[in-house]
Amino acid sequence: MKLYEFEAGDLFRQEGIPVPDFIVTDNPPQARRAAEKVGTPAVVKAQVLTGGRGLAGGVQAAESPRQTEEIARRILKSSIRGLPVNRVMVVKKAEVAREFYLGVTIDGLTGKPVVILSTAGGVSIEETAKTHPQMVVSRQVSISTGLGLPEAKEMAQEAGLDGDESTAIAGILHKLYHVFRKYDAMIAEINPLVRTVKGEYLALDAKMEIDDSGLFRHPGLKLSAEDPLASPLEKKGRQIGVTYVELDGEIGIVSSGAGLAMATMDIIGRKYRPANFLETGGGISEELLYNVMELVLQKKGLKAVFLNLLAGINPIHEGAKGIVRFLREHPTDIPIVARALGNRQEEIWQILREGGVEVVTDVATEKSVEYLFQLLEETR
Amino acid sequence: MSILLNRETKVLVQGITGRVGRAQTKWMLEYGTNIVAGVTPRKGGEVVEGVPVYDSVAQAVSESGAEASVFFVPPAAVKDAACETIDAGVRFIVVVTEHVPVHDAMEVKDYATERGVRLLGPTSAGILTPGEAKMGIMPGNMFQPGRIGVISRSGTLAYEICLNLAAAGLGQSTALGMGADPVAFTSLSDLLALFDADPETDLVVIIGEVGGTQEEHAAQSIADRMTKPVVAYIAGHTVPEGKRMGHAGAIVQGDMGTARSKINALQKAGVAVAEYPGDVVKLVQKKLEQYYPAQ
Repeated sequence: MKLYEFEAGDLFRQEGIPVPDFIVTDNPPQARRAAEKVGTPAVVKAQVLTGGRGLAGGVQAAESPRQTEEIARRILKSSIRGLPVNRVMVVKKAEVAREFYLGVTIDGLTGKPVVILSTAGGVSIEETAKTHPQMVVSRQVSISTGLGLPEAKEMAQEAGLDGDESTAIAGILHKLYHVFRKYDAMIAEINPLVRTVKGEYLALDAKMEIDDSGLFRHPGLKLSAEDPLASPLEKKGRQIGVTYVELDGEIGIVSSGAGLAMATMDIIGRKYRPANFLETGGGISEELLYNVMELVLQKKGLKAVFLNLLAGINPIHEGAKGIVRFLREHPTDIPIVARALGNRQEEIWQILREGGVEVVTDVATEKSVEYLFQLLEETR
Repeated sequence: MSILLNRETKVLVQGITGRVGRAQTKWMLEYGTNIVAGVTPRKGGEVVEGVPVYDSVAQAVSESGAEASVFFVPPAAVKDAACETIDAGVRFIVVVTEHVPVHDAMEVKDYATERGVRLLGPTSAGILTPGEAKMGIMPGNMFQPGRIGVISRSGTLAYEICLNLAAAGLGQSTALGMGADPVAFTSLSDLLALFDADPETDLVVIIGEVGGTQEEHAAQSIADRMTKPVVAYIAGHTVPEGKRMGHAGAIVQGDMGTARSKINALQKAGVAVAEYPGDVVKLVQKKLEQYYPAQ
């Protein structure tokens, strides 16, 4: 789960990372009062879960409280990369002398945390790694020993920092690693961390993503309850217990596994575009597939639905009953084509056919999809 | 004949008294797996499908001589169970459990690597040596004995491709799921090396998917070291950026983890990459003819 900047900022501050005072609001007059409180010039920052806010006009400086209100009003009406801005953060503008990048993430290959420090802050670390690799210091850390202060100090020195600066940056890096471990983070990042002209160090941004599988360990975290990135259909999928990802095509997909669903999307993508990704997981029942059909058929502009079901541990013969029950109660004009193989396949085929589903029994998914294409050509 | 598992391997089932553990134990026994013991804390003394259940792994291992273990334990319990199992001397562990916290997976991987223990998963469909034994949830009727090694991130896609292979008379030496989480216990490169060293495997099929860099890294080790032919299919050409496709690790982030980058890397290493899953069969046949011309 991705955290908003203000949520991550709060966590960073709790762990002793210097974060400037900020106020988060959803209305312009409050933004004005916020600017009066934190001081001007201020910066108004859109709270959206996407990168590139600055370039999209989501981060703007204001000279006065009044201007803060105007800017907040504008930003709160806007969308950034398709995401509506529901909240803005108001923070005092810092006078920056130097910028840094600090990050902790996971190397999926080695399975170790990776700590990254760069003296090029404020720009994308991927970009810096390509253009100025000598400005990026990164280190794989043993999960059992972690990143101690001495190691953090070594990294700071390796990055060319010395004296107080090296001590200050190492201290913050050490704390950032601690936040990463404490909260089951996939990534914890400060970009930029700055030194102000007065010599203070401040985290001017806070980025964090928490592993969904680790969330149960943090019941105290008060995060925005709803995932703002999920569409209404995606939320419905979660409610009924399947993974549904909405796409912008016209062929609905139901699959008994994630890999199979992706492969099915690839094959359908030869001629048409998938309308969704849907994986049932191992819990197929009559009820589940009834709900799944209801969900998939809600998508606008569907031309057909393709069911790709492999009966291993899943009782597809039960699920098939749910499919045909839904179709009987809610008849549809678009073709429903199924490919189902494995345990009790003859029984499954019979149930589906009696319910008006077209069944293809060939062993390869491609053959069934070709048949679906043929049906679509005919009805055109 | 196989890697990591055969009909003699003495298998322990952890979480054997749960709903899934019970059902899968029955299927594994029917397939011929030599299950010698089960473990569920506080359920010692029970018997599941004729298998004696113990409270602790140490007890189960000393009574039964178990050398491999398959996990149907809840995600929050995987880390401690894995360390307990490693400490008890088990050398091979298959973690079927989904939603294991990634930080726990990192800790387990570190602990196991230090002690030279091999794990598959998390979110592994399991491992199956056709006609001999299986650990995990792979349905036995979708595999046939033969000489193709299969490594898959996804379970269902392994079934799809093995069904296709079997229909063409191409059976498998061993098929295994490496899991589809952001951190895999054993890398694709290491699994390839095991098949490369197996005298009963002629060719390896990799079934990959979007997300992470396992396939890119494996491509390098194929180019450097692999002696046997490799065929691959990478699922998810049409996956949009930033959307997690069911599996925790199946996500394209920026230009990282795309099907294209994996396909390019593998092709560069001489791997025949199928555009669609059904094309795997003919690529396998072609590679086999090239590498092993009829006498």
